[in-house]
Amino acid sequence: MSTESPTGSHPAIRFEQVPVVEGPLSSLNENRAKILTDVSKITLSEFDKSSVELSLGQALYSERIRLKRDRGNIFTRGRLKEDRKLWSHVQSGLLRPVAEVDRQELMERVVAHYAEEIGGRFDPAVYRFATRAVPWGFSWLLNAASVKRFLPWGMTQSLESRLHILGEVPSLQKLSQKGTILLVPTHQSNIDSMLIGYLVYLMSTPPMAYGAGLNLFSNPFFSYFMRRLGTYTVDRQKSNEIYKHTLKNYSTRILREGVHSIFFPGGGRSRSGAIESKLKLGLLGTALEAQIENLKAGSPKPRIFVVPLVMSYHFVLEASTLIEDYLAEAGKHRFIITDDESWQPTKVLHFFWKIFSSRAGITARVGRPLDVFGNFVDDDGEALGPNGTHIDPVRWLTTRGELRAEPQRDREYTLELGRKIAERFHRENTVLTSHLVAFSLFETLRRKYPDLDLYRFLRLSHAQRSMAYSDFLLQAEIHHKHVREAADRGEFYLSEELQTSNVEAWVADGVAQLGLLHESGVAKVRDGVIWTDDLNLLYYYRNRLTGYSLSLLAGTGENMKKSSIFLGQNDRKGFLA
Amino acid sequence: MIEKDFWHNSKVAVIGGGAWGTALANLVSKNCLDVRFWVRNEDQARAINATRTNQQYLPEIPLSEKIHAFTQLDRVFEGGVNAVIWALPSSVCRAQAKIISQYINGEEIILHATKGIEHGTLKRVTEILREELPCPRIGVLSGPNLAHEVAKGEPAATVVASAFQEVIDAGQALFVTDRFRIYGETDVIGVEWAGALKNVLAIASGALDGLKYGWNTRALLLTRGLAEIVRFSVAMGGRESTFLGLAGMGDLLATCSSPLSRNYRVGLRLAQGEKVDAILTSMESVAEGVRTTESVWEFARARKIEMPITEGVYHLIKDGASVQEMLHQLMTRPNVE
Repeated sequence: MSTESPTGSHPAIRFEQVPVVEGPLSSLNENRAKILTDVSKITLSEFDKSSVELSLGQALYSERIRLKRDRGNIFTRGRLKEDRKLWSHVQSGLLRPVAEVDRQELMERVVAHYAEEIGGRFDPAVYRFATRAVPWGFSWLLNAASVKRFLPWGMTQSLESRLHILGEVPSLQKLSQKGTILLVPTHQSNIDSMLIGYLVYLMSTPPMAYGAGLNLFSNPFFSYFMRRLGTYTVDRQKSNEIYKHTLKNYSTRILREGVHSIFFPGGGRSRSGAIESKLKLGLLGTALEAQIENLKAGSPKPRIFVVPLVMSYHFVLEASTLIEDYLAEAGKHRFIITDDESWQPTKVLHFFWKIFSSRAGITARVGRPLDVFGNFVDDDGEALGPNGTHIDPVRWLTTRGELRAEPQRDREYTLELGRKIAERFHRENTVLTSHLVAFSLFETLRRKYPDLDLYRFLRLSHAQRSMAYSDFLLQAEIHHKHVREAADRGEFYLSEELQTSNVEAWVADGVAQLGLLHESGVAKVRDGVIWTDDLNLLYYYRNRLTGYSLSLLAGTGENMKKSSIFLGQNDRKGFLA
Repeated sequence: MIEKDFWHNSKVAVIGGGAWGTALANLVSKNCLDVRFWVRNEDQARAINATRTNQQYLPEIPLSEKIHAFTQLDRVFEGGVNAVIWALPSSVCRAQAKIISQYINGEEIILHATKGIEHGTLKRVTEILREELPCPRIGVLSGPNLAHEVAKGEPAATVVASAFQEVIDAGQALFVTDRFRIYGETDVIGVEWAGALKNVLAIASGALDGLKYGWNTRALLLTRGLAEIVRFSVAMGGRESTFLGLAGMGDLLATCSSPLSRNYRVGLRLAQGEKVDAILTSMESVAEGVRTTESVWEFARARKIEMPITEGVYHLIKDGASVQEMLHQLMTRPNVE
């Protein structure tokens, strides 16, 4: 904690207009056409001539289902029309004999279409404008929001008191000069994209490209900016191989160009509210691919660094939708909300208004940088092995005497990287008062009804969802003790507000934060009673502390999974009966 | 076959000069260029290089000319090696790995042949090696392999398990002969636990034989024993199907029937009324099963994993209970639904 300045952020962060650092992203626009052509070429080469017909058929099948389902809105209709045109062309082509219609040509058209959709642009002028506009917008909101309460002294309030940027900021800054950064943040809210873009700017690192869900581009205002800020699109609804290959090749290619990139390794936003423990390895694997190609080509700055970033919010804009989704789908993350109410500008405004009009803040912690295998990297970019050894990536990537890609080996390496990132996510997490209040209240109530399964528990009557505040404080104190012990073991960090022995103080803070955004009270205290109006939401915020074995009861969430390991969950055939 | 050519021209380090290490060095010498054989003791190294036999552990077997014994690690790893065969007792794995980490460059394929786990932490040997060595490509070699029989060239087979296909391929290229078959497997956890846990049952099996019971009793022990070690391994993340293979059932049959097995001999002597400390001090090589039993039962008890036979062996070793007494307890325990 000693390295952190009084504002709470790392001293390397100066909350002022920092000069825009030009990076390789700036030249992305000039090379765009070339990059997309290359990506198409590589993608085409990955499909064997004999399998083109089959791949096209599969893609056509899944795309037609998607297009039938997707009705689109006023802004996306144009894009959908283009899609339909392409696929009906492919369909009629496939129906005719090979002699008449060249399959390869159809394939080229599909790949080019996807490449064009994915490919991002970067306009330095827009970036400069955005970096000025965002803090300006933030300060405006901040002042407008705090005017109500603190006028006229409220004017002195600033972003510093709301954004806590902690962790390995200087390492990130140094490594961004020494190689290519792949920033991998946790993902809770659509706000993340905006906020991370701004954090990157505040940390004085060169602008980064990132992959954002295509659904975010449906709003023309955001679309305009995102398109010009190096964002490329990721459409998780397109599950066909041709699309996946094109996307991976694009990501690999821009990493190879030295463009620092961001992607959310969890795929979508965390539905349950828990920190991601299972990651999507497809895109993550492009880091290793780019690393191999860089080393083979003898690039001057070949190293790729993977830097985790953990965001902690007191409240999440779309919490209700997310948790309902999670409960409905029972953990299947493929489901995507297309009609996302949270992305309406008024809601976003509302969120920041809440942030600035209260004492709530957003904490972001930059994790220790890793190499593409998940080894820690020092500030010089050297990967550290056990017992003081250094790791030479060329060695790890050499198979039978030759530096090369080896698909099975590389999948295994990426799996390991994914595990490591998930572990770092948990360890670099900053626990806030609201998380602990939610956890404590949920667990305490849950223990009163040990016979109910989770779903029945979540439907408890109003009276059953309350308890005496003094009783709750006793329980909260116990949980607080456990959490502090876990923090001492290095399992996560505690926010400043939690580093107190005054239970009432941190509980009051947590209750206040939890109640800010949502109309229904997540946790409310009145007349010596604490209760919750919305158990689903309480569950959502409680889940932030899953994966640490803190829960004392079996049968809720992660803990249930963990304990069931020991009941022989792999014993599907009943061998052991 | 480029791959075969690569391994035929490779340099291999064998770490550990016990019976199994020596047998493996001899096997691998048929498929590579140069075997550097690390042994702890200077006299042993000199004797091996001079007499071409390992007098202490495998006296009747002549060693290949390609094998050179060393005690200094910098000689073993000079100029880099392509593969490391790890045949040390589990109790010294971590300490030795810490030292060897300085000589590893990361390109090597590492295959260990240790059947045991770390006392207390219950870490498997691949986990220990991964934690201590700057080298990711690690695998395990395990199966019904009594060192003396394999060394004599009796037909046998083993399993090489790794998450990396190239480690499995390397294991096959390096060890295969017309008398020794290698099967590939991806369930590293299952193979390692099978190798460690069968030692517990070997003690039980020796103990039963000490009482001179027949085949029914042995079949009972092995079958119910298999059920409980599968239960444990599955809990640790292994696959049950692994236990139908050589590393599971195969190893169990060999170890639990052969008086050559050290763990079996421990059980036998326990049944004859000897004390565990006396048995262990009188034995030349390590009986991994004794410590495995302690660690595993303590873990299983805490996690409520049903392992009655392991529990029985634990009481034999720890509390000096008699074999008769334990057998009675096992035979009369209530059936669980």
